[in-house]
Amino acid sequence: MLGPPRVSDGTKPSCVAGKAGASEGALEAIINPLLLYGGCALGAVGVAFALPKRGASLAVIGGIIAAAAAGLVVMGLTFAALPSEGLGEGGLLEGNFGALPNIYFHVFGVLALASGLRMITHPRPVYAALYFILTIVASSGLYVLLSAEFMAFALIIIYAGAILITYLFVIMLATQAPSEEEPDRLSEYDAVAREPVAAAAVGFVLLAVITTLMFSGLPTLERSRSEASPEPALELFHGKWEPDLTESLRAAELIDITETIAIDSGLAELDLSAAPVTVLVTSPVGDSRRVEIPMELIPEGFVATNVERVGMNLLAEHPMTIEIAGVILLMAMLGATVLARKQVDIEEAEKERQARRLGLLEEGA
Amino acid sequence: MDTITAIQNLIAPVVMAADAAGGHGAHGGEAGPWYLAWIPFIPLVGAAIVATLTATGNKDKTPAYMSVVLLAISFAITVSHFMNWGGTPVTIHASDWISFSWGDGPGQSFTGNFSFYFDGLSLLWMLFVTGLATMICLYASEYMSHDVGPGYGRFFFAFMLFVFSMSCLVMGDNLLLLFLGWEGVGLCSYLLIGYFYKKKAAVDAGQKAFVVNRIGDLGLLMGLLLTFTTFGTIEYEPLFAMIEAGETASGARLANTWQSWAIPLLLIGGAFGKSAQLFFYVWLPDAMEGPTPVSALIHAATMVTAGVYLVARMMPLFLADEDRIALTVVAWGGAITAFWAATIAMAQFDIKRIMGYSTISQLGYMFAGLGFLSSTGAVFHVFTHAFFKATLFLACGAVMHGFAGQLDMRKLSGIRKLNGWKITSFAMLIGCLNLAGFPFTAGYFSKDQILAEAFYTPDSVVWGSSWAGWLLLLTAGLTAYYTFRVFFRVFVGPTIFEPGDEAHGDDGDGHDHADDHETHGFHPHAPGWAMNLVLVVLASGSILAAGLYFVNKKDHGWAGSMVHQSSAYVHGATWIDHGGPYDAAGTESGPEDGTDADTSEAVADGGAEAEAPIGDYSEAGHAGGADHAAPLALTYGEVTEPGKLLGFDPHEVMYYVSAVFGAVGILCAAYFHGPRGFEGLMIGARERADTVRMNGVAIKPVNRWAERKWFVDEFYHLVIVMPLRVVSHLFHWFDKIIIDIGLVDTLGRIPGWAASVLRVSQSGFMHGYAIRMIGGVALAAIVAAILALK
Amino acid sequence: MDLLGTDVLSTLTMAQGAFPEAMPGGTLAHYLFISAGMFCLGLIGFMTRRNLIIMFLCTELMFQAAGLALIAFGRYHMNFDGQTFVIFVLTIAAAEAAMGLALVVLLFRKRESLSGEDWSELKG
Repeated sequence: MLGPPRVSDGTKPSCVAGKAGASEGALEAIINPLLLYGGCALGAVGVAFALPKRGASLAVIGGIIAAAAAGLVVMGLTFAALPSEGLGEGGLLEGNFGALPNIYFHVFGVLALASGLRMITHPRPVYAALYFILTIVASSGLYVLLSAEFMAFALIIIYAGAILITYLFVIMLATQAPSEEEPDRLSEYDAVAREPVAAAAVGFVLLAVITTLMFSGLPTLERSRSEASPEPALELFHGKWEPDLTESLRAAELIDITETIAIDSGLAELDLSAAPVTVLVTSPVGDSRRVEIPMELIPEGFVATNVERVGMNLLAEHPMTIEIAGVILLMAMLGATVLARKQVDIEEAEKERQARRLGLLEEGA
Repeated sequence: MDTITAIQNLIAPVVMAADAAGGHGAHGGEAGPWYLAWIPFIPLVGAAIVATLTATGNKDKTPAYMSVVLLAISFAITVSHFMNWGGTPVTIHASDWISFSWGDGPGQSFTGNFSFYFDGLSLLWMLFVTGLATMICLYASEYMSHDVGPGYGRFFFAFMLFVFSMSCLVMGDNLLLLFLGWEGVGLCSYLLIGYFYKKKAAVDAGQKAFVVNRIGDLGLLMGLLLTFTTFGTIEYEPLFAMIEAGETASGARLANTWQSWAIPLLLIGGAFGKSAQLFFYVWLPDAMEGPTPVSALIHAATMVTAGVYLVARMMPLFLADEDRIALTVVAWGGAITAFWAATIAMAQFDIKRIMGYSTISQLGYMFAGLGFLSSTGAVFHVFTHAFFKATLFLACGAVMHGFAGQLDMRKLSGIRKLNGWKITSFAMLIGCLNLAGFPFTAGYFSKDQILAEAFYTPDSVVWGSSWAGWLLLLTAGLTAYYTFRVFFRVFVGPTIFEPGDEAHGDDGDGHDHADDHETHGFHPHAPGWAMNLVLVVLASGSILAAGLYFVNKKDHGWAGSMVHQSSAYVHGATWIDHGGPYDAAGTESGPEDGTDADTSEAVADGGAEAEAPIGDYSEAGHAGGADHAAPLALTYGEVTEPGKLLGFDPHEVMYYVSAVFGAVGILCAAYFHGPRGFEGLMIGARERADTVRMNGVAIKPVNRWAERKWFVDEFYHLVIVMPLRVVSHLFHWFDKIIIDIGLVDTLGRIPGWAASVLRVSQSGFMHGYAIRMIGGVALAAIVAAILALK
Repeated sequence: MDLLGTDVLSTLTMAQGAFPEAMPGGTLAHYLFISAGMFCLGLIGFMTRRNLIIMFLCTELMFQAAGLALIAFGRYHMNFDGQTFVIFVLTIAAAEAAMGLALVVLLFRKRESLSGEDWSELKG
């Protein structure tokens, strides 16, 4: 995450935790440090207010303060990311958004943070779980913005649909029956947060440090893969379009009915560097020639979708990881089963205890 | 012999395999028969088996009988070797042990292996060690029967381990193995003295023996190390070769070096400690707290003679000391101890203790014999003493066993008339006769050999030797007195007895006797077949040992012929005019030595044979005289005549003189301790003697002092133990206050204090841990950020 | 999304198919801030809330933050490893939820309470 260490320009290293002066250079390219640290401090205050406690609830005030803090930081980021042309000529107002994210980013981002805050501050577990679902939905919106459509929907299905439902079940199972007189009374451990100030301080100091480190490294972060030579999709997904291409070429009478596209070690022998692209075809008698592929003949379907790419990456580049993940899931299943068996034992003991209490079982039996 | 051969054949494959594994590489000397290496190891294996049996909860007499059989095998091997022995020393390499070098030069390597060296001396020792061990083990199988179970196993384990250690001590071909055995027998002695570990006296006695022996052992160890630094080797054969050459490892002439007297003196320290001589004797009487078979085997017959063995084995080294400081110390130390212990023995009442003191006294004789250059006499006395003292102890043990631990001679009388005590009484009588030096007993011949040699050796050779001789003669009389004092008191007279405190009670029903031991309900418990058999065998052995004196007469008896073929032999022709104890002619040893034989025959040509055995003795005396006459004249130019006793050749008159002393002693004992109307032969004065002892004005203080052992224990306590105790108390308090409380405890409490402060933070709540963990991560991230953004 | 543009080569390459164009670093910073904010909210929740279930939910929130960061970086680098690893994060989260919730139920049955502070056997 960190870029190469910055060469010091002679000034003292900046204090990164909160109040003190801003670091020169890298961080300022991303955000004004004052805004960042101010936002962090403000956020800490807001969260500390928002956490549940007995007596007068300050959750609303805390939420507003925290929202202001988040807004402060995002504003700082936005200022730094404004196009160099500024607002005017050729600038923001004329459609040049520079490095600024989509407007939906702000919607989903604020939604994710706000519902996350509400999740950790809401005294009732069921509500917390529901707010967490909202966080997940907001996150998946961000995923879509990041061109990760498959993961966005997978997230909603798996998290919101499966895991969180499990949570809800457990919450229902493991909640004490409300008493008659005070059906709404919260448990002590739900109603009062533990050391909110210290926790908020520690958490936001950590936030300040993490963001400082990330933003300092960001300007020097190198892309792992050159944009100039993206992988050729035709080669990767030849199986998907090969039959179509052969049919198209035959239909356009560019090749004879007897000729087929030459395949070498599973791949069509394309020449992608030529313009237009050529392909090698062979006749039954053994002759071979190159055929140019007109633009209009390239089938639309060969363009790989996000799902295909993720699947390709998953299976082609991380097969071992899949295995490990499978083992982990198996272990979790076994573990859950074992723990479930233990519950039976506990129930037996409980039954015995109750039976003894009721006098159904003789003492010492 | 057929049996022995069969046994050899039986164990041959095992030993072959062991030899093959151990890399049979005998070096130096003639390689001996492989099976000799099993003499020590069979008892060791036996110890292991006994330990295993005991650990697995054995509750019968199997360990004892198995030990007897294994020891008998060892004995059989020894005997078979003795039968086949050609007279030359042999070496058996059993296995490497400590052997390393740090350079190629002389004296830059150290070798101490499990190699065994068999010459006449070690063979003779092994014969009686294994033989007596077998017999006494059989005896103990019955004697210890009240302890069948873990205690039984413990006893026989230590017993077998003792035989192993003693064999290593005697058979080792180097001083290191001797030292191993030395410490091993010390350990076993300690274990066995303290066998009745619930009895404080026994535990104290064990500790006393151990501590006193440590002092002596320090001398031995220093002597060993000094030997190594002086000669560059501790293996006997190269060592004796160097002494023979009269040179040290650095090439200096041995006689000029201080080591020539320092090493023998240091070795004497070890020998006197182990053999309870001079200042070191105090542990041996107390060691009688151990079970009687232990007293018989370890503290009478074998272990305590290790000191004699050491001096005899290192005799060339003692002879190399031209000023004979060491020899004088040995001779006078032995003579004074003999007298001193005899005086104490005269006033004791505990019969085992009397035997203990007599052991000390007899060991004194042996050392005196060595000091008077009569290693033959000393070794012969070791041999005969082993038999008759073992007999005496075992007879005492039988009494003790039968009378519920009663050892006080004032409370026992006339045992001989009781049913089943005939054999014991007879064995006791034979032992007493031997000890008293009654004519024609083995003890008589061996003791006289030493006494005669004391007078024979001129005063100029060993300072004051004739005075020492008179002292020893007087002691012989005292010995006869205290020996028969026991006999007359305990075995003769009206049958009166009183059971002991049944510390060694009879077969488990002794508890009943403890309640009414004043009553007449007590029945003595006569010894069984095993004890009787052993007593008979040993008593017969003591008688037959006398016959050995007439074997090989030109070497002064069988013991002499054995000594002749060992390093203990004092070469007649070797005193020394060319700077070393051995000259060229003297190096040729063995019975073939022409000079010896010729001279002895020339002197012994008289018709002495007609007067056998007296004639034989005189012939032997002449032979001994011939043995020395020439060299004495040769070496000390001024001494032309050997010493005389009352103007006669000591070898001729000694046996009359000593017989007179012995007879006087016995008669005194009979008078003072024989019962009134003793068998109608004489008038005993036991009661009167008691009266005199109680009221006699003149003799009372002396008697009281002797009974209290001249207050030597109290003196040692005052001079050595008390100061040590005071000092150790000081150090104890220093340790307790400064070290323990001041340093250790304080240091130890610091973590405790720190923890009591820090433990508060361990709330046990996972939130607490989480918040601290995250805080730690934040801190680490801050540090990382500072480092990265610098 | 005009996938069949004038440039044949770029038309036929994959990256342009999945990611319209390279994401600028400034935008990445926005996403990372959201991610870090979610993560710290999860941390604070874990530290302050006493209900075991909510503590677990907070860990899920932290998983979410990590997943968002992964996808944002993947988008920035124009590859799919980030998305692939979110799948694994989901896997782990599911396994953890299964085990953790089973344990929570067990603990609840022992003490009839969901408070994490009921369990302090490590107290020094």
